[in-house]
Amino acid sequence: MTEKKDMYEKNKQVSAEAPNQQEEELDSSAPTRTLWGDAWNRLRKNKLAIIAIVWIIFMVILALSADLWVPQTLGKPNAQIYDVRLPMSAKHPFGTDQLGRDVLSRVIYGARISLAVGVLATAISTVIGLVMGAIAAYYGGIWDTIIMRLADIFLAFPYTLFVIAMLAVIGPGIQNVFIAIGILGWPSIARVFRSAILTVKENDYVDAARSMGASDLRIITRHIFPNSVASIVVYATMNIGGAILTESALSYLGMGVVPPDPSWGSLIEAGQTYLSTEPWLMIMPGLAILTTVLAFTLLGDGLRDALDVKMKDA
Amino acid sequence: MARKKKNDNWVELKNQPVPEGSHLLEVDNLKMYFHTQDGVVKAVDGVSYTLDRGETLGVVGESGSGKSVTSLTIMGLIDMPPGRIEGGDVRYRGKSLLKMSEAEMQHIRGNDIAMIFQDPMTSLNPVYTIGRQLSEGMRLHLGYSKEQAMKRSIELLTMVGIPNAEQRVKDYPHEFSGGMRQRVMIAMALACEPDILIADEPTTALDVTIQAQIIELMQEMQEKNGNAIIMITHDLGVVADVADKIMVMYAGSPVEFGSADEIFYEPMHPYTWGLIRSIPKQIKDKKSPLTPIKGNPPSLVHAPKGCPFSPRCPYAKDICHQKKPEPFYTSTGHYTKCHFANDPDFIKRNQPPTSRSIKREAAAKGGEA
Repeated sequence: MTEKKDMYEKNKQVSAEAPNQQEEELDSSAPTRTLWGDAWNRLRKNKLAIIAIVWIIFMVILALSADLWVPQTLGKPNAQIYDVRLPMSAKHPFGTDQLGRDVLSRVIYGARISLAVGVLATAISTVIGLVMGAIAAYYGGIWDTIIMRLADIFLAFPYTLFVIAMLAVIGPGIQNVFIAIGILGWPSIARVFRSAILTVKENDYVDAARSMGASDLRIITRHIFPNSVASIVVYATMNIGGAILTESALSYLGMGVVPPDPSWGSLIEAGQTYLSTEPWLMIMPGLAILTTVLAFTLLGDGLRDALDVKMKDA
Repeated sequence: MARKKKNDNWVELKNQPVPEGSHLLEVDNLKMYFHTQDGVVKAVDGVSYTLDRGETLGVVGESGSGKSVTSLTIMGLIDMPPGRIEGGDVRYRGKSLLKMSEAEMQHIRGNDIAMIFQDPMTSLNPVYTIGRQLSEGMRLHLGYSKEQAMKRSIELLTMVGIPNAEQRVKDYPHEFSGGMRQRVMIAMALACEPDILIADEPTTALDVTIQAQIIELMQEMQEKNGNAIIMITHDLGVVADVADKIMVMYAGSPVEFGSADEIFYEPMHPYTWGLIRSIPKQIKDKKSPLTPIKGNPPSLVHAPKGCPFSPRCPYAKDICHQKKPEPFYTSTGHYTKCHFANDPDFIKRNQPPTSRSIKREAAAKGGEA
């Protein structure tokens, strides 16, 4: 917290020192200022958010390029090629697991599934949630009642249990995990977006836009959405962390990825047996989850600040 | 330059001549009620007026008298439900606005009829630059490209008196002062050169020094474009300057409608008298308290059986509490809804003194002496 505060103060100083320079930059670089362009300019000054972005990009690159170099240096993630449960060393930075597989290799491959689940499942539930929330809030009345009661029904079931039940119906397998987590995640996004719209909708500029002849779709996408995007972005980035954790829980329960394919959750599950003797088996994938979820959360936090137009000079 | 984006065969109503025998805007006994859980709210109850190009109509009344709702109904901006049109018609250049589809109305809004809202602080979208917001209407209705619209935005901003417009179009609303934002609102409303400009209390949220400037600006623009203005306000002083016609509204219906001269110098309705009496007088040697209209407007759900003003009217008789008055027309189109409107003696006895009547009396007295 204090670190963050310091950061803001530093930012203040920086912008106070060079206001002229900034203006010149704006004038020469862009003929028009846009919401996202300005947001990026503000985000750039937020060090924590930048660190988070760098970390996320690093993880993505690591996961995508794994096939190119991991098997040669660390060994295939699913093949037993080393002694079991070796401690951390230069050759095996994260040690090896109970079957003699390199843990770092498994963590890197696990990132593929965990990141994909986080992003894809959140994308699915955000899209469904946005549409549902927009219909409920903008049209109100019977639509609001139907959609929000449906959301209440979804939320009334314990989430993890609901996902497991759904997986039991549509069958296990990693793509079904995406779908199940994605579909079942919409009610909370719909609620957040609905309440954001209800607040924004009352503003005079929405009426003003209607009086200029804008259509419903245009009003929702151009006027209401950008003004409520802050809460949605924050919610969605935090939801990515949540989805990664849910996948971990499912894998832990044996409903997620099918062994021997690794995901961060299944790695923790496998490692917990040896917590007292070989703690790295659990700590290392745990750290991967922790840092990644934290990075998404920090990014969400930074985005919220960056998307607030009035924060520009602060 | 003007290129239609969609609907090429759309007849641009704005460029059509006003049909013979009709006016630019005709509001004919318009009734719009809200159906709420507490009952039926008769928010607009029998409003009638006509408006031609270049004219300014002042709509005056207390808060909650249905001034704004009437113009929102004309624009089709009332949510239905809870609102519902119960009768009457709105005709723009002879075409009924109430029968138009939503798509047609979207074309009318902003293009033919535009609106300025009361509070400039909240009427601009905080996430877009001024230029973007000014462009929206032009790109929507005139099919301008981004560059064309931006160029025109700069012209418009210069026109409404914002200095350094080339730089200012790139700024966000929160970087403007209240008066400047209201200028931007005016520029936005005028961007597509509408026929009718509805200004909903355009100066209420501004400080007095800016008010006059904004009113002047609107008049200037009217002279340039020849559009009609509907000026909604609760300030008789504002309409006295600018309005050609005045409609006084009370509890959802007009109690008196006439030319500005008629309303100020020959008012016929006790409510209009009350409004005129409550204007502060400046030319007075001694301090005297204002004469307010006692009481509050009635609830529109449980409206009085008779004349809506009867509970507060100092001249109310039995008939006022029993029967709704029918409009009484004079030969000039001046009408009023009062049971005693056809009694010149009653009006003469109770009318508030105006500068003209005072002069007349003085002249009469001088003649006697």
